[in-house]
Amino acid sequence: MTAVDIAAPGTAGAQAPRRAGRRGGARPRLTKRGRSEALAFWLFISPWLIGFVGFLLGPMIASVYISLTEWDSFTPAEFVGLDNYTRALTDDPVFWKALGNTFYYALVSVPLGLVIGVWLANLLNKKIRGRKFFRTMIYLPTLVPLVATAMVFKMVLAPSGPLNDLLGIFGVEGPSWLLDPNWVKPALVVLSAWGAGGATVLLLSAMNGIPREFYEAAEIDGAGPMRQFWAITFPQITPIIFFNLIMGLIGAFQIFSQVYILTAGGPDNASMTIVPLLFREAFSFYHFGYASAIAWLLFIVIIGFTAIAFRTSRSWVFYETEVR
Amino acid sequence: MSSTGRRGKSAWIAGVAVLSMISLAACSSDGDGGSDGSTLSMVVWGGDVDKAAYQERIDLFEASQDEIKIKLQLIPGDKYEQKVQTMIAGGDGPDIMQVAEGVNVYSSKNQIIPLDELIADAGLDLEERFGPVGSLYSYEDSVYAIPDRSGAMIVYYNKDLFDAAGVEYPTAEWTTEDAQAAMEKLTIPGQQWGFGGAGWWPQWWSFAYQNGGAIIDDEGRPAANSPEVVDALQWANDLVHVHKVVPSTSDYADMGPDMGGDPAFAAQKVAMNTTGFWAINTLLEADFNWDIAPMWHDEEQAVAAFGSGLAISRDSKKSEQAFQAIDFLTDAEAQTVIIDKAQDVPANLAVQSSEAFLKPEWATREVNMAAFGESSAFVFRSPLIPEWNEMQAAFADNLGTFWNQGGDAAEQLTLIQGKLESVLGSSSR
Repeated sequence: MTAVDIAAPGTAGAQAPRRAGRRGGARPRLTKRGRSEALAFWLFISPWLIGFVGFLLGPMIASVYISLTEWDSFTPAEFVGLDNYTRALTDDPVFWKALGNTFYYALVSVPLGLVIGVWLANLLNKKIRGRKFFRTMIYLPTLVPLVATAMVFKMVLAPSGPLNDLLGIFGVEGPSWLLDPNWVKPALVVLSAWGAGGATVLLLSAMNGIPREFYEAAEIDGAGPMRQFWAITFPQITPIIFFNLIMGLIGAFQIFSQVYILTAGGPDNASMTIVPLLFREAFSFYHFGYASAIAWLLFIVIIGFTAIAFRTSRSWVFYETEVR
Repeated sequence: MSSTGRRGKSAWIAGVAVLSMISLAACSSDGDGGSDGSTLSMVVWGGDVDKAAYQERIDLFEASQDEIKIKLQLIPGDKYEQKVQTMIAGGDGPDIMQVAEGVNVYSSKNQIIPLDELIADAGLDLEERFGPVGSLYSYEDSVYAIPDRSGAMIVYYNKDLFDAAGVEYPTAEWTTEDAQAAMEKLTIPGQQWGFGGAGWWPQWWSFAYQNGGAIIDDEGRPAANSPEVVDALQWANDLVHVHKVVPSTSDYADMGPDMGGDPAFAAQKVAMNTTGFWAINTLLEADFNWDIAPMWHDEEQAVAAFGSGLAISRDSKKSEQAFQAIDFLTDAEAQTVIIDKAQDVPANLAVQSSEAFLKPEWATREVNMAAFGESSAFVFRSPLIPEWNEMQAAFADNLGTFWNQGGDAAEQLTLIQGKLESVLGSSSR
């Protein structure tokens, strides 16, 4: 490599097609400068690329193979074909129970979180005194580490805890939330609603981005606040709602820490969800093959729900750029 | 102009450097087994007290000879299994590792080595040094770990509450009926309970073994729904939901997060509690009078014990040196550190009956330390099957509501028996 003169950008542009022509329509060959830029590109992207290939793509591909084996992580893996999948789907009541619990949690907590998020964002969008203060307060729970939140919720959800005291004021006798198989899942939903502030902030910024003229025009036409919300605010924030829906679904299907800390899946697996289940199978029971199979089944479920959400999105999500 | 070219060149060099660094890092992780030279690696779990105790024992060992050094690595308890599993799976197992109930996960898969030959070569008599616990960590007639810490579960009782209720202090001579009668007298509904409960396996299993039952029988088959086990579990549960002399799960939840027998005893909410040595440490500061006693009995005397042993991993290239270290660490001199640091009960019998143990320096009050030695005569042998964690999960998965709301022990144990049969059946290939 001799350090010859590098052509100026202009000449480089002129040179490239000629060379490309010589090679018979192949990809234009890079100039020296182009090559060094490409090199710089690969160099700068390499931390991510190495991380992605080494720590994400590689293990993902490996886990496909592992899911077809019986492997305890110590002794050589034994190929068993689709046994792990058939076992999960036909022969493991705990898997179905965990899957049912996960569905319950995702299908209740995600819509509930969105409704609360939109409602709070709408309130915060009003011009009231102390708006910034309320905004901070609503976002604050999202900043508290989950472990700390879970510990506090253990106390809040105690049989004679503050939540049941509150219910008592209204004459409702609260259940033993975390100790009762029928109420432990609603308890997890309550905890998820606590974190609705994260979605609220995004929705609020979307609401702030709606041009004022829309509302002014609506007011002139005599639209009341409800009509304004449903005809202007809601359609304008649907892309953000959609985003929160997708992220919320993925997060809810992968719920782990709350279950792990609050109940460890109990009582009697009433709160066992898929990720704690596969964690237990892999790291406590040493069934890595089976755990990998469960992971892939969860992946299929998540992909399925995300696809459904995308399909239906055409009929309710409004993108301004698509207006013809 | 040539600077651009140079930049290209230096980018190349940087790229090569980055790549070679990555490959170097990948290589060195193979060779970094911790067993280069004569340095052995040793992993244990626990907190600050444990770290100090193990380190002091290692220092004694290093001072006793000058060839072998030991590098101690302490892993927090809840991460220990996963961490060690990862180390071994990566071909980087420690030379010496602490094991407990999970010992046969490793031994059944040949991840730790049988020690019989090394024991014979060293002329070590396990029976003499540790009593019946000596062969606790065995699998298929081979010993896989040397006992290191081993203490029976004992009864803690609140002397003040006993005096106030006019109840005699517990002893090993107590029968189950005596115990229940005392619990009833010591209970003040809604504010004080006679007993901390028996929901944890060492507690209600002790009752089952006292009753002549076993969780896994001598042939290695599950026997969880035998009448003896059913009766014992039903009694343990009735104490909560029928006799109401034990706080229910709801009562505990109302006392605070992660509340159980140990903290409730320290808070004088329960008059008696059965647990291991560790509670002594927190109770030394307590402002009420308490003491410990051996477990009461039923048909037979039986009690669970807590402990751990030291094993040598398959990856160790210096198993002889590692064994030499284990031999030293479980001998009287090093074991005395365990009690001096108020860490645990040393497994070494000579130390258990020594003045240092019976009258420990840190004891700010009279504690009946002889209760441990007395109990060791009737400790039952826990079924340390390779599927230990799955067995525990089978119990937890089927007894949650039972403990929380009461129920029929026979029904739940039949479910558990079925689960255990499928777990043990599928793995005994």
